Amino acid sequence: MTSLTTDPLLWILLVVLIVAVVAVMRARRTNMALRRTRKDLETGLGEARGDVSQLHGHIAGLTAQHQRDLADVRADAEAATKAVLKSAMGTLQSLAEEQQVLLDDLLKKYGDTTDVLGDLMAVDHTGSQFGRRAKGISVLCGGWLGRRDGAATVYDVARSAQGRIRDFDRVGVHSQVNVSLVGKAVEPVAVVLAELLDNATNYSAPGTPVEVNIQTVPTGVCFIVDDAGLGMDQETKDRAASLLSVDGPVDITGLGDPPRFGFAVCGMLAARYGFAVSVGSVSPYGGVRAVIRVPESLLAADAPSPAADAQGTVAPESAPQRLAPVPVVGPSHVVGTTTGGLPKRRRRNGPVTVVPALDAGDQEGTSQPASEVTASRLGAFARGTQLGRTTNTMEGSDDQ
Amino acid sequence: MTPGEEASVTSDFVRSYVITGGRTLPDADDLALHTLVTLAPERTPPLGAGPEVMSIWNLCAGGYLSVAEVAGHVGLPVGVARLLLTDLSEQGHLLRRAEPPRAQNVDRATLEKVLNGLQSLIG
Repeated sequence: MTSLTTDPLLWILLVVLIVAVVAVMRARRTNMALRRTRKDLETGLGEARGDVSQLHGHIAGLTAQHQRDLADVRADAEAATKAVLKSAMGTLQSLAEEQQVLLDDLLKKYGDTTDVLGDLMAVDHTGSQFGRRAKGISVLCGGWLGRRDGAATVYDVARSAQGRIRDFDRVGVHSQVNVSLVGKAVEPVAVVLAELLDNATNYSAPGTPVEVNIQTVPTGVCFIVDDAGLGMDQETKDRAASLLSVDGPVDITGLGDPPRFGFAVCGMLAARYGFAVSVGSVSPYGGVRAVIRVPESLLAADAPSPAADAQGTVAPESAPQRLAPVPVVGPSHVVGTTTGGLPKRRRRNGPVTVVPALDAGDQEGTSQPASEVTASRLGAFARGTQLGRTTNTMEGSDDQ
Repeated sequence: MTPGEEASVTSDFVRSYVITGGRTLPDADDLALHTLVTLAPERTPPLGAGPEVMSIWNLCAGGYLSVAEVAGHVGLPVGVARLLLTDLSEQGHLLRRAEPPRAQNVDRATLEKVLNGLQSLIG
């Protein structure tokens, strides 16, 4: 036993055993501490993940909110811009109108001074173009065109539109119908036609003709604009089609720089007044054919009488010229008779004016008393004064 | 979108440079303001005559009118009416008569003689 207790080996063994036990216990404590830490960390991680997903949701919400706000702000800005532009253009419109009325007077006042008259006409021409631009922008911003009080013949509407573009002398107007538009439709149709003519003259070679043909169709009257340009590519056609079929406000900031108002103005006015505009078909000259179809509801029941005889006599002129493009008209002649089912006033307008217009004009020329009486009275007066003067100078001196 | 918002537009609908087709206006010497014009007999309106030409046509059918009167009745500036009349004239549709000769100025001596003669008759 003593040998055992004195055996150093035993002591060494004991010490080692104690150290081992202590080490194991420490390791175990450390392990448990680590496990606890890990568990804490894992719950922390879970919470963090939860937070993250929550934050993601929040961010998504904020983004959506931001988009909505941005859209609202854009809409507000657009509306505010439009309101400002509308009022500014309104001022310009009325100034342009004022200028034209002033020019009407000046043209009459200086009518006999050829040079001045020519210059005034040039000023008038630029003024008309300016007025058309102002009207176009105003319309896009929800403004109004002026309203003509009286009806106007389709021929005059076309010529009025012709006067609002730069190269008006390239445009030829051919009308074989004697129909008038009601007052409220006169300006819109003229503005739309002017935009189409502007396009046609801008996108075709200088010097090539642009034709406006006016024809009746079963559902109203068509203004057909043909140019001899290169036509439109598919992208332009799509853009035109989408702008022409708009049914609501137009985003004016999305019209490019420089802005291309034309088709947007057409689409807007067509939707507002209930007529139809289409582009994209090919004209007989290889360019673009644009068509405005004005429904019967916008046609005046009776042509204004002073224009009637003048217009009526114009019709025979265009009839022979029309022979070439007539293919399109073909249906319209047939249509004249099928229209029977429709209100009778139109049927009477169509054929009656086209065919016997010449006779009517002649009859009015010979049998209508008013103008003849006026003219003959004035003529007699003139002859009288002349006779008087010759007798005075000749016989008077002889007698004396 | 009430129609009431629309202001009435009163300027001439068809502008005069469209009526002339952008052509240069004729000189005032050719058809002076007081030149008298009327339609030649047995004429039919030219093909392609616009409403303005037709109203001039109907106006002139009744007898002689001065250029100024034609312009006034048709409501066009004189220069524009003159261009349309020149067209008609070049196509042979128009007869015209130059202004009547002015009364000759009688010399002062003759007038004094007349005055003296009258005074002796009356007084």
